[in-house]
Amino acid sequence: MTQTPVIKIALTHLVAKKRQTIVAMLGVTFGIAIFIFQAGLMSGFQAYFIEETVNSTANIRIFNEAEKNRKGIISKLNDDKNHWNVVQNQKPKDEQNKIKNGYQIISILERDPRVAGVSPFLGSQAIFKVGISQIAGRVSGVDIIKENILFDVSKNMKQGDITRLETIPNGIILGDGLADLLGAKMGDNIMVTSPLGVNLDMKIVGINHSGLTEVDKSRAYINIRNAQKLLQVDGSYITDINIKLKDFALSEELAKYYHAKFGFRAIDWKEANASVFSVFKIQNLVTYLIIISILIVSGFGIFNILMMIIYEKMPDIAILKAIGYKDSDIKKIFLTESLIIGILGGLLGLVIGFIMQKIVGNIRMDIKGFVSMEYLHFNSSPGFYVFAFVFGLIATSIAGYIPARKAGKVDAIDIIRSK
Amino acid sequence: MEKIKIIETKNLNKSFHDPVEFQALKNINIEIGQGEFVAIVGSSGSGKSTLLYVLSTLDTDYTGHIYFDGDDLSLKTKNQLAEIRNEKIGFVFQFHYLLPEFTVLENVCLPAMKLARFSDAEIKEHAYQKLDLLGLRDQALKKANKLSGGQQQRVAIARALINQPKIIFGDEPTGNLDSKNSQNVFDIFKELKDNFNQSIVVVTHDMHFAERTDRIITLSDGEVV
Repeated sequence: MTQTPVIKIALTHLVAKKRQTIVAMLGVTFGIAIFIFQAGLMSGFQAYFIEETVNSTANIRIFNEAEKNRKGIISKLNDDKNHWNVVQNQKPKDEQNKIKNGYQIISILERDPRVAGVSPFLGSQAIFKVGISQIAGRVSGVDIIKENILFDVSKNMKQGDITRLETIPNGIILGDGLADLLGAKMGDNIMVTSPLGVNLDMKIVGINHSGLTEVDKSRAYINIRNAQKLLQVDGSYITDINIKLKDFALSEELAKYYHAKFGFRAIDWKEANASVFSVFKIQNLVTYLIIISILIVSGFGIFNILMMIIYEKMPDIAILKAIGYKDSDIKKIFLTESLIIGILGGLLGLVIGFIMQKIVGNIRMDIKGFVSMEYLHFNSSPGFYVFAFVFGLIATSIAGYIPARKAGKVDAIDIIRSK
Repeated sequence: MEKIKIIETKNLNKSFHDPVEFQALKNINIEIGQGEFVAIVGSSGSGKSTLLYVLSTLDTDYTGHIYFDGDDLSLKTKNQLAEIRNEKIGFVFQFHYLLPEFTVLENVCLPAMKLARFSDAEIKEHAYQKLDLLGLRDQALKKANKLSGGQQQRVAIARALINQPKIIFGDEPTGNLDSKNSQNVFDIFKELKDNFNQSIVVVTHDMHFAERTDRIITLSDGEVV
């Protein structure tokens, strides 16, 4: 069986209008290339950021939340809607954020087969002093060996070794940003002052770089025992328990389970970083809006060129109809034309988008902002390419469909008679 | 023996509604037989072209009945009519309407490729036969718009013949040609009729052309006289 020469006619039309065809094609190319680049950049950045954040956020964090807006004791006793209880200057109760029986909970968690690691944590604000320079920051009192299982601290060590936090009684590991601000180097002595006024002389045994700029500028790791000294509390006092799961997808579910089991607040990493994810949602929305508007513009380009071809080729359409081509055949010719523009323009766009990613991805950026990275990270997952191409094709077929339908409806006699 | 009727109309009427109500065809009852060479004549505005478009299925806005090769055209869908045109009707227009970017051969092949009854090789073979018949074999691979008017009209005739149609409709086929080429086209039609028993209906205002056909149907104000 012979194919009706739809493709040949379509190609002939496009070749006859070479310049317009190329312009229409480049519209699609541009839209898709920008999308590939933009989506790759956005999602590459997001993936990197999530990785960095999630790596420094426990899958589940258990902590004791101090009760705010506590009801006054009078309100509790006399809860009558028709009376007012006025207590001025009510202060929060002096409650400890301590997790009661923290170490027992840890040993229970360590026996849970779904748990990969558990690390106790005691954090406090602190002032770091080296000579005359003073910086306010935070100390993280940790069991560094357990902490390392959760957050892979040793991977991020720029200098020194994590085990020295265990072996040297007053060791401290500074974030690299913090060390820079203080002008402190490995082996220097540093004074740490707690909000309670307790001073500890410590020795810098390591410099750490987590990649999250804010964290590196303010955090120092110390042994949990030293943190307890700073806060003048006993050796069982911990404020947080961080948990790493074997399957982090279970985070949400197990957080609820542990909350119910131990009675303390338990949040998973998604909840802990909710603000970040909502920013990403907006970013993604913007990215998709950009590609949609570019493709709409290129859609108009295709629409235009097809309309031009149709007006010019009215006699062709008339004769094709007279010799027995159906309306649908004519429609197919013009749809094919828009698809050819879409496919060629789209493929070219994919290639250009890919090349743009490779070029920009190889330029050293040394970004120090929200996160610090040397090179831009691109996500070149095939999904984007497929999505961009399919979306491009849909846009071009919609843009081509309207003129094609018009061409199909052309009345042959009108053309023949008007000559 | 009774003559085979290719076309028969019964009470065929057609009106234009735009811009004003105007009856273009009034109660036309005609027959066209197999192998007949018929000319439709009349002054301009008499409805002769309109009649041709209606008879050739291009125009479906009419009342009454047209029987084409035994089928009642008023019962056919648009797509069925397209198939009938493709298979059983050949067209030759005043302006030859070739696809300018295609070669002569491709233009001739177009209806056959749509019909898709034969392989590409066979279609080409048939096209060459038709071009031979019209003395155009050596022009086959030229682009259609590189040919002279007379040659283009002969290509259009070759295209009309490619699917062995039951009937050829000509709409002022010589209207745009000089007398020599007009004579040439007439001779081709005559030859097709004499040698292949081809039915032909031609609308023309060229009385010299019309007089030499088998029969003249004269229209005046939409009526056969």
